[in-house]
Amino acid sequence: MQRAVIAGGQRTPFLRAGTGFADLDVLDLAKAATAETLARAELRPDGVDEVVYGNVSRPVAYHNLAREIVLALGLPATIPAASVGMACASACVAITTAADHIAVGTATSALAGGAESLSNVPITYTPKLARALVRASQAKSLPQKVASFADIRLADIAPVAPGIRETSTGLTMGESAERMAAINGIPRADQDRWALRSHTLAARGWDDGRLAAEVAPFHRDGRTIRDDGHVRRDSTLEKLSILRPVFDREHGSITAGNASPLTDGAATVLLLSEERARSDGRTGLVAIRSYAYAAVDPSGQLLIAPGYAIPIALARAGIALSDVGLIEMHEAFAAQVLSTFRVLEQNGAGTVNEDIVNVMGGSIALGHPFGATGARVITTLANEMRRRQVQFGLASVCAAGGNGAAIVLESLA
Amino acid sequence: MNATFPSVAPAGARFEPGAGGVARIVIDRPTDTVNAIDPPLIAALSAAIAAARAAQPRGLVIASAKPDQFVGGADLAMLSGWSAASEIAMASRAMQAVLDDLARLPFPTVAAINGSALGGGYELALACDWRVAADAPSVRIGLPEVSLGLLPAAGGTQRLPRLVGVPRALDLVLNARRLSARRALRAGLVDEVVHPAALATAATDRAASIAKRKPAGGATAIERAATWIAPARAVALRRARAAVRRETGGHYPAPFKAIDAIAAGLAHGMARGLAMEAESFGELATSETARNLIALFVSGLRQRRAAFDGLPRAAPPREIAIVGAGLMGSGIAQAAAIGGAEVRLRDLDDAAVGRGLAAVRKLTTDAGRKGVVERREVPRVIARVTGTTDLSGFRRADLAIEAVFEELGLKQRVLADLEGAMADDAVIASNTSAIPIADIARGARRPERVVGMHFFSPVHRMALVEVVRPDAADPGAIARVVAAAQAMGKTAIVVRDGPGFYTTRIIGTMLGEAAALLGEGASIGGLDAAMTAFGWPIGPFALMDEVGLTVARHAGETVARSLGAPAGANPVQVLTDAGLTGKRGGEGFYRYAGREREPSARAAALLAAAGIGATPSAADPAALAERLTLLFVNAAAACLDDGMLRSPAEGDLGAVLGLGFPPFLGGPFRYADARRVWMRDRLLALADRHGPRYAPAASLMGEASFYR
Repeated sequence: MQRAVIAGGQRTPFLRAGTGFADLDVLDLAKAATAETLARAELRPDGVDEVVYGNVSRPVAYHNLAREIVLALGLPATIPAASVGMACASACVAITTAADHIAVGTATSALAGGAESLSNVPITYTPKLARALVRASQAKSLPQKVASFADIRLADIAPVAPGIRETSTGLTMGESAERMAAINGIPRADQDRWALRSHTLAARGWDDGRLAAEVAPFHRDGRTIRDDGHVRRDSTLEKLSILRPVFDREHGSITAGNASPLTDGAATVLLLSEERARSDGRTGLVAIRSYAYAAVDPSGQLLIAPGYAIPIALARAGIALSDVGLIEMHEAFAAQVLSTFRVLEQNGAGTVNEDIVNVMGGSIALGHPFGATGARVITTLANEMRRRQVQFGLASVCAAGGNGAAIVLESLA
Repeated sequence: MNATFPSVAPAGARFEPGAGGVARIVIDRPTDTVNAIDPPLIAALSAAIAAARAAQPRGLVIASAKPDQFVGGADLAMLSGWSAASEIAMASRAMQAVLDDLARLPFPTVAAINGSALGGGYELALACDWRVAADAPSVRIGLPEVSLGLLPAAGGTQRLPRLVGVPRALDLVLNARRLSARRALRAGLVDEVVHPAALATAATDRAASIAKRKPAGGATAIERAATWIAPARAVALRRARAAVRRETGGHYPAPFKAIDAIAAGLAHGMARGLAMEAESFGELATSETARNLIALFVSGLRQRRAAFDGLPRAAPPREIAIVGAGLMGSGIAQAAAIGGAEVRLRDLDDAAVGRGLAAVRKLTTDAGRKGVVERREVPRVIARVTGTTDLSGFRRADLAIEAVFEELGLKQRVLADLEGAMADDAVIASNTSAIPIADIARGARRPERVVGMHFFSPVHRMALVEVVRPDAADPGAIARVVAAAQAMGKTAIVVRDGPGFYTTRIIGTMLGEAAALLGEGASIGGLDAAMTAFGWPIGPFALMDEVGLTVARHAGETVARSLGAPAGANPVQVLTDAGLTGKRGGEGFYRYAGREREPSARAAALLAAAGIGATPSAADPAALAERLTLLFVNAAAACLDDGMLRSPAEGDLGAVLGLGFPPFLGGPFRYADARRVWMRDRLLALADRHGPRYAPAASLMGEASFYR
């Protein structure tokens, strides 16, 4: 079996939805991250075997975003491409799917990642109006076409924006996070402290050039966007503490400050088989050692699944949590991160050393383009493992629907 | 009907009765890869049409058996073989008669256009009732004869205006447009566009179902009025004549003849129009202008192969890295991306990279609007160019092109960086107009991989790349650069290394002399006007302003150091010392305000103060223009003599495509061949009066023509 190694990874800057990338298409973002990944990894396009890509808020125009990346970049049209989805863990699925293909030998190289434009979510019609439109498009005569709309009332005509509400529970992400905070007893102050830490470390990562190394400047119309848009250098505990809770105004603790923002961006990772990476003369190889997906009942703790996926991934890797030298954990909410630590302790995986978690900040500071985050954390983890010469690294991402992903990386000699 | 033409054995077309009532005429010229029109083909077509008439099918399809080509124009080799205008006019009459015969068949006829249908090939299609074209990239449709100094002479000037209306026909013919299938459909040149695989079926279906048709004379009421109503038509024709006069300066008779034939046919009937067409064709085809234009065209086609003479064949590089995202760098990047390469464009900071990428986007969007690039390809071409401020993405490239400022030290530093960043077998090309490549490569770790690649500005419009081959260069490296230039759609010539190479050396010689003429009292505006009247696209002083006086001075000095220059104060030096930089800076020999320009009073004062041109010259500006052109030709001949050039054909292509030498003269070498004795005598006389730089090059002293 071939191990898949992380041979490169680049992302666009992450910008708050509705700001610098507001008028860009998700494909524009995906193209930028992918082209730069190939260039920086010095791989020629004809050396790519497949593309696997994640995206959550899917534009209707792209039945298969991954394939559109191949065609829009003018990569060889013979590269097959698949789009995958697991909400916020979509890029994790893209990466582990590609790694599996490399492991069984159906590919020796793959581009994997994800992209999100939350500035441009597809707005849909009410089901009633949508059905009427389909009927009308199939109708043969004008009277039939008109009759298709007979039942439509004024209220049916209003467009519908996609919610981030769980279909099965009717709760928003934030409401679910409030539940987790309450269940695990995570005080507001701890959440704010974690959020501040995220911003502080992200700023440090930018200042010392580590984040710049994995972020491709985005050029358009003669302007260049280099930086993430959400990192706050002026954040303080005091400023965070005066923010009003958003989801439960009476008793809640989740604020705009200790949650990740809606974000536009894309991230791509290049995976190679170990054999190919070595024959290319690539050094500092970091391989995917194991991974696991786990899921929980969304009506309980919606975002806690990494707490269960992590022990499985560690067991599959044959290592203990204490063997892990670096952790990248997606921060949907500070409450979710701290809850996960709590649950890992409860289920016997061990105590997390917070000093090795998200050492260049996390999604709260950097932003969270749903489809892209998994590729961001894997790239950051692999790069920092090389810098720190850490043997084992762990990445985890929680996702809507109660899913969670955990991936163990290993430095190769 | 073919009785007027001397008897030849018919060959190249056959009649096939076909099934289901639809017959076919298949055009398939034997022992040739293309369907060019020559007497045997005309005779064969005539016989096939007679057979079709006798068979009385429900309908008839005209199709080609050549892949990617319907029927081309007249066989150019045949044209150059004939000398008498009457003989060529007779061939034209014969083809007209065959197509009249085709048009008069009592059953519907359909042209199945599977590839390029240009000139005579499209005239054949015009004589059919219906034209269906394949939606394939090889399809190009039009009547581009005037670009060769000819006119459509098989009914094209008659049937096209009757089909699409006079205004559109004038645009298509006078601008020698060659349209893609989709654009041809929009312009009304074809009736239908289908997938290549469906072409045969579609044509057969149409032939079985349509009726004979009468052309409408345009799609809109205005177009039809300009076609059928005499006063409206007169306006359109008058405008066209004025535009042609403005653009050709009277050096190109063909467009006027085409307008005359269109006018005569609509005013006095098609028979008169056809007669005029044939007669003009005979006259034009035997003229020096057409012969030169055709020869240049054929040289250009041959050069695709000839550029590789003495070199191994090479595939064009798929990954190209470019240093310098300025005007040249971004232009080269865009050309490379259109050619299908992945391009990495590097400059020092975000602002420069951003500007370069924005330029690529704009050039490509414009090209899409003009139909140079398929509209759906536009975003892909743009996406193939990525920007960077470091050298990432360079190691995977097969070719790097350096397009930084013309300064030896800078270019050497960039070369060192590139050698460090690139793979060992990568080729590094320097885009310089004058600096010897051997100087740039001095100190290189792999000098055999360093080559010159001289692009002309603006890159997207200039068709030439001068590939400079230093003595140390590996032939494979040169071949890769030639292949890259060709993939960008450019004509590549290969020249030896040396200051100014070929093109800059000869244009520099001429510009230096123009500057010296100011010392003799010539006027800036007068000399520029005389040069454009002679046929140059731009006068020498306006050209120096365009290029920028700093660059002109730099190139001039590089060339002058090695070749010697006319004595006396140098006007370019005087102006640059005073801070005048040319058009971009707003003032040089001229002062620029928007699109307007006027002679610069400051420049005049500066030159006067330097004692340049104190006494106005009495010399006729036209004679001075001729003198400058002769010096240019002499310099070109010297380049051939000392081995800078490989062939006169490359010299002609380089001078015409790169420097704007008047195309109707065929290039400096054809110009010399056409008037060898006169030229030698003139040069000898000029050498007597103005110095040895006019002494004829050895090859101009001899009797042998450059082209044998």
